[in-house]
Amino acid sequence: MLKRTEGIVIRTVPYGEADLIVTYLTPDFGILKVFAKSPRKFKSRFGGSLEPLTQSKISFWGREDAPLPRLTQSDILNSFQPLREEFSSFLKLSEILELILSFLPERDANKMAYALLLNTLHTIKEKQNDTLLMTSFKIKFLHLVGFAPRLDSCGRCGKHGYSFYLAQGSIMCEGCAQRIDSPVKISPAAVQFYSDLLTWDIMKVNRIRPSGALLEEISNLITMHIRYILSKPLKTESFSLKQSHHKIQS
Amino acid sequence: MKQGIIENLIAELTKLPGIGRRTAQRLAFFILAMPDEEAKGISRAIDEVKNNARFCRECFNITEDEVCSICSNPSRDRSRICVVEEPSNIFVVERSKSFDGVYHVLLGSLSPIDGMTPDRLKIHELIERVRKNSVQEVILATNPNTKGEMTAQYVRELLKPFFVKVTRIAYGLPIGGDIEFADEATLSKAIQGRRDF
Repeated sequence: MLKRTEGIVIRTVPYGEADLIVTYLTPDFGILKVFAKSPRKFKSRFGGSLEPLTQSKISFWGREDAPLPRLTQSDILNSFQPLREEFSSFLKLSEILELILSFLPERDANKMAYALLLNTLHTIKEKQNDTLLMTSFKIKFLHLVGFAPRLDSCGRCGKHGYSFYLAQGSIMCEGCAQRIDSPVKISPAAVQFYSDLLTWDIMKVNRIRPSGALLEEISNLITMHIRYILSKPLKTESFSLKQSHHKIQS
Repeated sequence: MKQGIIENLIAELTKLPGIGRRTAQRLAFFILAMPDEEAKGISRAIDEVKNNARFCRECFNITEDEVCSICSNPSRDRSRICVVEEPSNIFVVERSKSFDGVYHVLLGSLSPIDGMTPDRLKIHELIERVRKNSVQEVILATNPNTKGEMTAQYVRELLKPFFVKVTRIAYGLPIGGDIEFADEATLSKAIQGRRDF
């Protein structure tokens, strides 16, 4: 059965001689994996439409339950080419793509996640990416998939507190936190900033100028939270570390 | 004759890229009909490649000796290094007869999302070659896709302190293609990279 939707390329994996398995984030099917025949050949009709971050209108063919339907058409809506041309910006965006792959299930429609990614890519396109935009995306995305840390009040009793417990994914008040080890202390300003980032439109988030310390506090907390949920650091995070190490060695 | 032997050969041949079951079946019966010596020649060639192939000490091309035929050829221009992702890319560039320098194979490309980090590629070895030899130019001929582009940019950054000329292969339309069917990313690169005519 032929189906049509639009999607953003999240990842491509070479298959066989010149084929690719392409993973899209689509509004209608969520994460969708399709098989593309011979896109790595220069005269392929897919051209550059299967490069990561490209937003395209796609058609694919396969049974309703086919694990890997065949991609039949891909017309570029937005290539987002400038975002792929800068090593540092693509590295940061890879973190977003990995986050999407780690948290979103396959074939589960998620229009909100698709809109969030698309808006983020448009915002970065206009203004070069920064930590604020990335952190804002992560917070909003975690909220969408139900893994956002709870910072407004104690996860058990609802009282105020400023000690965040990774194992609980929440702030805990002194009474409830007894016998739970090593909290991450957070400032009242960070709690407020987190709640603001959740509500602010991501396309306008670049208008604000938070202090470096505040941004770093929230950004580190989110990174630790993600690492705890996944039980490992993101590959892109390890990449950044190894990259700096390798540069120093060379 | 046991049916299993032919079935086994067909199954093994389908493991090759671009070979489906029908082609494998055709090849299997062709091999069966071949003179003994020719068929055994194929088998021997595969055996030799698997037993003797190794990476060149200098450029990481596939070779049966310590140093590959390109690196040991005195007529090659050693001041120019063409950087490619895979050994198979060398064969393609050589076929074009447009390059008389030497090569360096990275054995892959950077991909943060797949965990392909710089330490898994032969980037450090390339930097060492540039540091130790009088290299004039490094041509980055990694694939014209996101992973290849990231790899090229990364290598370029590492080469900056050496004041060596770093060039990137051109982007554009394939010869024999029709501009009508070019995608916007390729066409935009082709226009950006236009030259005086």
